[in-house]
Amino acid sequence: MASPVSTAALAWLGRSAMRAVGGVGALALVAGRTAWGLRRLERRELARGLVQFGYESLPLATATAALAGVIVVVQAVLYIQRFGARAFLGWAAGYGVLWEFGPLLLGLIMSARIGARNAAELATLKVGGQIEGLRGIGLDPFALLVAPRVVAMEVSMLALSTFTFLVAILCEAVAAKLTLDLPVRVFFGTFADLLSPSDILGGVLKTGAFGLAISLVSTAVGLRAKGGARAVGEAAASAVVLGCAAIFLLDFLLTTVLSRWLS
Amino acid sequence: MRRVLSFFGAPGVMLARTVRAGTREGVPLREVLAQVHELGGRSVWLVTSGMAFFGAVLVMIANAQAKKLIGNVAVLGPAYFEMLVRELGPAVSALLTAARAGASHSAELATMSVNEQVEALEMSAGDPYADLVAPRVVAGVVGVPLLGVLGTLAATASAVLVASLALGIDGRAFMDARYVDGWDLLVGGLKVLGCGLYIPLAAAVAGLKARGGAEAVGHATTEGVVAASLGCLLIDLTVSLAFQFVRL
Repeated sequence: MASPVSTAALAWLGRSAMRAVGGVGALALVAGRTAWGLRRLERRELARGLVQFGYESLPLATATAALAGVIVVVQAVLYIQRFGARAFLGWAAGYGVLWEFGPLLLGLIMSARIGARNAAELATLKVGGQIEGLRGIGLDPFALLVAPRVVAMEVSMLALSTFTFLVAILCEAVAAKLTLDLPVRVFFGTFADLLSPSDILGGVLKTGAFGLAISLVSTAVGLRAKGGARAVGEAAASAVVLGCAAIFLLDFLLTTVLSRWLS
Repeated sequence: MRRVLSFFGAPGVMLARTVRAGTREGVPLREVLAQVHELGGRSVWLVTSGMAFFGAVLVMIANAQAKKLIGNVAVLGPAYFEMLVRELGPAVSALLTAARAGASHSAELATMSVNEQVEALEMSAGDPYADLVAPRVVAGVVGVPLLGVLGTLAATASAVLVASLALGIDGRAFMDARYVDGWDLLVGGLKVLGCGLYIPLAAAVAGLKARGGAEAVGHATTEGVVAASLGCLLIDLTVSLAFQFVRL
């Protein structure tokens, strides 16, 4: 005879496991249906997504990159003075931005901006019964709503990543000049000597993976929304949370795999 | 220009109104506890697991950097630990909390304003600033520092584990607290306090001005999360720069 506590624990475990399986299943379903819908991609939606996700994120992405660059240098100055390794700042700061802070911060900010918006829009459509309506008149909501978003997000993230890395590194060079009086030529000297194109590739690959994760997670969460107006806010919030969790998990996996593969 | 001004001004005005209303009406203790659970308790898993992965990544990065220059990753350990305590622990924990709590606060408040529940509260002689915003602000000031400590501990623990298991160096020697002093703790503490104050205010600004239908809720949520995350980054930079100039 099981005690009530262990029964409750078992029930909780079962419910959590079912939720996890359901979540993974929904994600796989969205990914599969999106790949299937790629052939009948809605061009106008794609163009709208590119403007919304890419072009309209430019100010935010630039501001984040500039902040990240300055923070990395301000923080590094402490160690530079302690170890007396002034000349290596260009390499260390560039490495940090390309591999870690550039992709991670861009991913988190874009998850907040685009992930929440995607989930809220799709949840509004779902709650209002408009998705059912699309199906009713024989249109595939995945080809029409999801696939363009995923493609637009991926293209935007890849384009933004290279641009924001450039902004961050320029800001680093300026911050190093202002705080350490390090000549810009020295900064870019070690930067060019010790970093290889594969380091840039690592950052771009990570950002691309984050973009894919954000778009898939947010659309899956939005399409699962049920209930009234409250469900829309909840979907937006949980898209952000799940997006962040996915980014951290991918960050760990990709850093481990890519640093071994690219070096 | 107007957007920049309102980005910095609106949370300030919100803080002033909240403090005034809170001192006049008193802050409901029960609601504060509920918000501490909502902001702090429900973010625990996200912050702990996120920071654990982050700590592991940090060790891998240190290893890659050390291989190129020095050849001995253990030398970098104490500097990385200081950076974790001073900068990355508070900043990344606060960013994660901003994502989780900023989204749920602004979604909740936006739903309430869209459904005119805020007006209903005013009609029944309640004060939205004292009853809705003040408890969230108190919860932020209490909760975010605790989450910062928790996140830093999680990152340290996973860094020690990864260093000893994957890299084969003494993990406890790697995460050496040799360089950590009171200044570092002060800098980290100021950052989490500032972020804890700012996140609920930014979310409240975005949530309470939502008008319209369900779409406005989604829009307000996005705005709240973006403002909270960007604000946390700015607070980090400001504190770091201020201490840079004080110590130099």
